Amino acid sequence: MKSIWENYKTETAYDELMCSEFQPRPISYRLCQYLNSLNKSDIDKRKIAAELAILEMGITFTVYSDEGNIDRAWPFDIIPRVICAKEWRSIEKGLKQRLKALNCFIADIYDEQSFIKAGKMPAEIITSSKNFRKECIGMKPRHNVWANICGTDLVRDKDGVMYVLEDNLRVPSGVSYMLENRVITKRVFPELFQGLDILPIDDYPSQLQAMLASLAPDDVSKPQIVVLTPGIYNSAYFEHAYLAQQMGAQLVEGSDLVVNDDDCVYMRTIEGLEKVDVIYRRIDDDFLDPEVFRKDSTLGVPGLMRAWKAGNVSLANAPGAGVADDKVVYAYVPEMIRYYLNEEPILPNVETYLCDNPEHLEYVLAHLPELVVKPANESGGYGMIVGPHATAKEIIEFREIVKKNPRNYIGQPTLAISTAPTLCKGTLEPRHIDLRPFILQGEDTFVTAGGLTRVALKKGSLVVNSSQGGGSKDTWVINREHE
Amino acid sequence: MLSRSAERLYWLARYIERTENIARLVSVHMNLLMDLPIGVEMGWQQLIHINAADQEFHEKYKSANERNVTRFLISDATYMGSLFSSLSAARENIRTTRDLLPDEAWEQVNEMYLLVKNNIDSIQNRSNRVALLKDVLKGCQRFTGLLSGYMSHNNPYRFIRLGKNIERADMTSRILDLASLLLADTRSDDMRQYETILWVNLLKSLNAQLMYRQHVRSSVNGDDVLNFLILNTNLPRSVGCCIADIADCINELPNNDGLPNDLIKLNAYVQGINTQGTTQDQLRAILDDLQNKLGELHGRISDNWFLHIAEQDSIQDQVQVQISSFA
Repeated sequence: MKSIWENYKTETAYDELMCSEFQPRPISYRLCQYLNSLNKSDIDKRKIAAELAILEMGITFTVYSDEGNIDRAWPFDIIPRVICAKEWRSIEKGLKQRLKALNCFIADIYDEQSFIKAGKMPAEIITSSKNFRKECIGMKPRHNVWANICGTDLVRDKDGVMYVLEDNLRVPSGVSYMLENRVITKRVFPELFQGLDILPIDDYPSQLQAMLASLAPDDVSKPQIVVLTPGIYNSAYFEHAYLAQQMGAQLVEGSDLVVNDDDCVYMRTIEGLEKVDVIYRRIDDDFLDPEVFRKDSTLGVPGLMRAWKAGNVSLANAPGAGVADDKVVYAYVPEMIRYYLNEEPILPNVETYLCDNPEHLEYVLAHLPELVVKPANESGGYGMIVGPHATAKEIIEFREIVKKNPRNYIGQPTLAISTAPTLCKGTLEPRHIDLRPFILQGEDTFVTAGGLTRVALKKGSLVVNSSQGGGSKDTWVINREHE
Repeated sequence: MLSRSAERLYWLARYIERTENIARLVSVHMNLLMDLPIGVEMGWQQLIHINAADQEFHEKYKSANERNVTRFLISDATYMGSLFSSLSAARENIRTTRDLLPDEAWEQVNEMYLLVKNNIDSIQNRSNRVALLKDVLKGCQRFTGLLSGYMSHNNPYRFIRLGKNIERADMTSRILDLASLLLADTRSDDMRQYETILWVNLLKSLNAQLMYRQHVRSSVNGDDVLNFLILNTNLPRSVGCCIADIADCINELPNNDGLPNDLIKLNAYVQGINTQGTTQDQLRAILDDLQNKLGELHGRISDNWFLHIAEQDSIQDQVQVQISSFA
């Protein structure tokens, strides 16, 4: 009988489960002990069971193309990633601190811009940001919170420290997969949940519902909450439907909503028009309202911005919140925490070179083969270069791209992001992972216990995005205080 | 509830009902043909005829034999009325109304869809086909059962009942078309000899044999079968019963305008149908009229409650521009 660990070689990167090839970390001791008791055929059976569950539960990414609709099953690795609850409590604090500061920043940017006036950030960064919406100047959303739902990406470097890689403040997705991953793991490894104190995660929909309700205009006792989706052609449609269903909210498309002369938003129901109080929108600003943003948008609702500005409806996240979802602005978050909250940042940023700054630009251009260089406003891992993995030709080409538009690029050292044992053809191998916790801020703040762990399934790859060969794992925050 | 959701739930129910009907129709017919002598005018062709798909079928296939007809009705994804197309459409509708239904409803339809999709090539073989159709029937019943047991009997549920009953009444009237063959003056001696078997088969196609025996308590004969399947108000698949259930739903739905009145008229019309001693041509005329009236009812429901938004081509383009930050 062969062990599933026979090929396991920890690399220079920090491994989340193992101290060395043979020695599990204290937090993962039980899990590793259990995995040791399984042979290859046992583990294959569990893997097949998980795949079947994913298909039956219909956890898919839908890719619509000319050849028809392709449902791609969600790529899931059955080996969970673990985090110690003690460490998590500190991360959680750090995430709340960060989102609070970001929200102070956004509110300030659309108000008196004291951060810029105090010389903490050059004004050009905002004036040149394509996510800065002048239409939002002077607005005060409920609780003066603009980014109500945030997905922050964390990575652990070889020094064992968790760094913030980016804050997704526009329409972050993935939370439904976090929830479904747990459901599958419970089905596949029910034995493991006995005797391990794993923090539950399934209260997220209730927390989301409560947060959205806290945004409703004051005089509404039972607010009508809707989830606004671009529709079935969107790759995250599964998540929109899932969250609406879990919250008991209505899932609507732009054409279901209408803004009347009274500047209120209504939905078209079988009983006629019904007023809507809170919209959890999963549509980018650009498409939200053809009267204000892209004129050709058929996904949005004409007049929505009018209704929002009149205070008759709340939008989460607020339009314009994306101004802080910019990799250049990211570099200033530690300063924001000091400035607005008068605190020291709990979670460190990754060292960042802003190509807008001539000295930084020079450094980036000279050190491209060692750095990761990314566009400031893209997401999904597009348009970036990982220096150590790029060819000489790619480096030369990228150098020209950066020179043409330095404002749009940032450079960061290539981190040796941490690994975790991942099932590859019947045995375990280390694969690089990150973590996306979800943070909610309305009247109160809330952080998911753990988050979505994404894994680069290709050997050596550092790109975890699902569109580029990434998968995901269940994430366990384990409390060991009772052991 | 959203008008859009009402429309999708209505169609979801129609497609599930259609899936179940095709599965039962093919199963029952297959059983019947095993009993009949070769050459009798009750062949596979009749199934195509019931579905009013003669033209489309003959454009694709030469002869109406078992292989072609079952392929056409069960697995042909290009024929919109096939079992697989109906099930796919049901799945697409439930995927977009998941927010209104219990989790298990989606999983049930999805599982059934995967089952048919993965076994679609094996249905040429009779035993495989029998097994698959049986699983589909079970799946549809489980779906109906779990909605009835898990879901509030609220407006969304009423739209599901509306869709189910309209589709059901329509299918019953189509299956009764078969009866017109049994009434033809020109029918063959073989046909006359097997008449009882054929009438029983008609009842079986609608799961009505046992209920007929209990209700009519006489030997199976044409007049009584027709009366039972059209006028009875207790048998779930009789036209009368479907109309009564539709009327119940409509009376409880908001903004029902003139519809309750229309239903009173329709019910009176159905109960006034007289099939005693009817000829083949008379029966055909009655059934055509009935089907038209059901079509009109669908139009009234649609005008009254559903959203009428033309599909916009540009939507798909825009969604593709929108890359979610997660992708």
